[in-house]
Amino acid sequence: MQRAKAGGDEEATRQNGSAGRRKGQQQQSDGDDGDCDLGAADMQDEDNDPGLRREIRSKYRDLINSVQQNREDMLRPSNNKLTEVLEEANKLFKDVRQAREAALDAQLLVVATDLGKEKASQLFSEGTAFDPTAFAEHLLSFMGLNRLEDGEDEQQNGGAAGGYLPQDAWHRVARRAECCFRSAPAFHYMMGSFHAEPPPPKQKIERQRKAPSKEAKRIMPTQLKRMEGSHQEATEKEVERILGYLKSYYQDDPTSPISYYEFVIDPKSFSRTVENIFHTSFLVRDGLARMYLDSAKLPCIAPVEEGEVEAGGSISRKQCIVSISPKTWKELIDAFDITDTMIPLPNTD
Amino acid sequence: MSRQMGDSHRRFLQTMMANGIVDEQGARTLYQYCCETHNTQHAPDKLDDFIDAINSNLQPMFMQIRKGMSEDNGHQFYALVNMTETVVTRMSSDYADNELELFRKTMDLIVVSENGTASSTDVLNSADTLTTKKLKKSETEHLLNRLVHDKWLCENRGEYTLSTRCIIEMEPYIRAMYQEQIKVCHICHNIAFQCQICENSTCGIKIHNPCVARYFKGRAEPRCPACEDFWPHEIPEVRRPQSQSRR
Amino acid sequence: MSQRKRLSNTQSSSQSKRQSGASAAQEENDDTTFTQPSTSQVQRGMQKLTPAQVDQKTAEVVQYFLVKDQKKIPVRRADLVKHVVKEYRTIYPEIMKRASRTFDQVFGLKMIEIDAKNHMYILINKLEPGDGASPIKSPTNPKMGLLFVILSVIFMKGGVVRENLIWNTLKKLRVDPGEKHEEFGDIKKVVADEFVRQRYLEYVRIPHTEPVEHEFRWGQRADVEISKTKILEFMGQLHEQDPQSWSQQYREAHSVSGSTQPGSSSR
Repeated sequence: MQRAKAGGDEEATRQNGSAGRRKGQQQQSDGDDGDCDLGAADMQDEDNDPGLRREIRSKYRDLINSVQQNREDMLRPSNNKLTEVLEEANKLFKDVRQAREAALDAQLLVVATDLGKEKASQLFSEGTAFDPTAFAEHLLSFMGLNRLEDGEDEQQNGGAAGGYLPQDAWHRVARRAECCFRSAPAFHYMMGSFHAEPPPPKQKIERQRKAPSKEAKRIMPTQLKRMEGSHQEATEKEVERILGYLKSYYQDDPTSPISYYEFVIDPKSFSRTVENIFHTSFLVRDGLARMYLDSAKLPCIAPVEEGEVEAGGSISRKQCIVSISPKTWKELIDAFDITDTMIPLPNTD
Repeated sequence: MSRQMGDSHRRFLQTMMANGIVDEQGARTLYQYCCETHNTQHAPDKLDDFIDAINSNLQPMFMQIRKGMSEDNGHQFYALVNMTETVVTRMSSDYADNELELFRKTMDLIVVSENGTASSTDVLNSADTLTTKKLKKSETEHLLNRLVHDKWLCENRGEYTLSTRCIIEMEPYIRAMYQEQIKVCHICHNIAFQCQICENSTCGIKIHNPCVARYFKGRAEPRCPACEDFWPHEIPEVRRPQSQSRR
Repeated sequence: MSQRKRLSNTQSSSQSKRQSGASAAQEENDDTTFTQPSTSQVQRGMQKLTPAQVDQKTAEVVQYFLVKDQKKIPVRRADLVKHVVKEYRTIYPEIMKRASRTFDQVFGLKMIEIDAKNHMYILINKLEPGDGASPIKSPTNPKMGLLFVILSVIFMKGGVVRENLIWNTLKKLRVDPGEKHEEFGDIKKVVADEFVRQRYLEYVRIPHTEPVEHEFRWGQRADVEISKTKILEFMGQLHEQDPQSWSQQYREAHSVSGSTQPGSSSR
């Protein structure tokens, strides 16, 4: 134990150029002598005082901790903390009586020796020594530290400056570090990272309910009311209204054919056009109007005159489905040069 | 057959990996930079050829550099995408299972919405319905920020939209999974999320805002290109890509 | 081959029946049961497969590497065989050769075995940073800044440091390992766990320390991925000092750069 201590002592001494520890040892042996002079009972008392024992152990632990925690600062060439620690340890050793305390003393010595060794290796290594504190200091400037006006913090913080770092501080370091790394860029993707399955069907229903735009919502209910609420009444009324227009156009000039498309198309509204086609189909179905192709093979429409009605029923009945898309609707408007609707909107009563 | 790649192609591909998405102007300057760095010939009008050479080599891995339009400003972008789903691709570690589930729920919300957005409130609420592992509200918020940071979602005043990168990569998936719900733009025929809709109920076509801007530019009275109804929406300005100074 | 596979399957299943709790040992076993097939085995295996099958498997291996690299986790051969190569294990060397060629020729990346004992692989970049700044600024990861600082300190201190030096240095840089950092979260977890799993760092307990102390070294990934010469250049710039004045570090950086680090910058 003593030998180990002496070894560590030499390291430390060489390192710090101080004789602190040796002097301490002197004191320590003095102290030992002094203790011997005291009565046995007295000694027993002090050795067994639990409070004192605890205090000594606690002080040792503090010392060990302080070496471990402040290792870097203590390693700096200008720092004399190691000497101070060893002097303190010598004072404590005076009162060491029990094995537990001695063990702590040994542990402190291991830590101190190790530190001393490193300090020594710094002295002997060639070239500049690397000082992590100075490094941190430079790095803070590189990161764009906003230093505070008064430098009080600096001293307190073991050399670390006060102030605050900008948001992108670590990004700056990362950006600078990029060229030192030969990292592979990573490939990130979303498609294929989870199992493909269609969304739950419930959303489809929701969609159907939600689907029509604000405008459509406004129109749809009235249309529906007309269809459902009237029980064909509205349709019949509209069919009659359209028949009225057809007849009046025919009467205006019975010799000139009425183009079916010109009749049904509303150039301002695709939906009105579809409605007109729908209602006109009732006229044809009920034999109130007939359709034929003119010399240019274009469909024409004309009202069936009273007398013809019955006969018409027995002649030829043909069915056809008229389909129209917004695109063909547009093309027809262009082709027939339709500017106005022949079936004006019903008066809103 | 795959075409020979040089270091210029590899550098371009690596930049695409690191960024995920690059706008057209950026891709052009990057192309030039890669060629200059490796002393290879640079033909300014051959960017798509250059990218095709990379794509022919990526094809066996089901990867691709794909071009697409930003719904926001109408500019063209290039994104590096994955095109397959396998046991291996599902091992992707960027997001946990419940995080991916939340992303999909957000996507559901956006797809079924009228205007291609999902409000943060709706997304937060949908976090309660996760079947994998519940996410706390704060975790969901953090996740949404990450999804925005990683360029899968965009956020504007509490409304989330699918990012250009996401649309470019996910378009085939969305078309397959949401067949009924999606609509394509009447002008460019790509999926339309953020767009204007014809108010004629029987028409109801969609047009991307930038496509609206281009289509109606210089027309006196805007009418729906499908049904000729009056187009009642505000017509946005055509936004040109800011020309960057070439080095 | 199918017979052999069946055999090993029954073995492992009977084993797991007997003792189900030995998962760690099981994992170790996985790799030792995989024996590198011989050239003739590979040849025979190749004959049984169509070129398309081999291409498909190669693509899966490439994807697996890319997926693992998203978080910079090295690929373990045992996992690769178990999760991807599977029944193609007889042609494992051929598939690895092709995957490596793909990384080289398509991506400009290099597949490297960093741990020959445990068979671990990583990807590193073959392309040098370009001379001019790239017109496209790739997003930066602040964690790489943190890692860079730690690796720099370890290197400058001769290759190994006690953990307290790292924690204290970080504290001076406003990153307190005792607190949750707004950018990095749990610092200890990032440094002593994440960086370690990525093999950027080694974190080992120093024997006979009470309280327990650890020391940090460079991990195997750092050895092949990071240029000491360039770190020293940065140190010189930071301290306004000639990099050569740290003569030991300078010598080390330049002795290494001859073998694994290609052409250090001469800007």
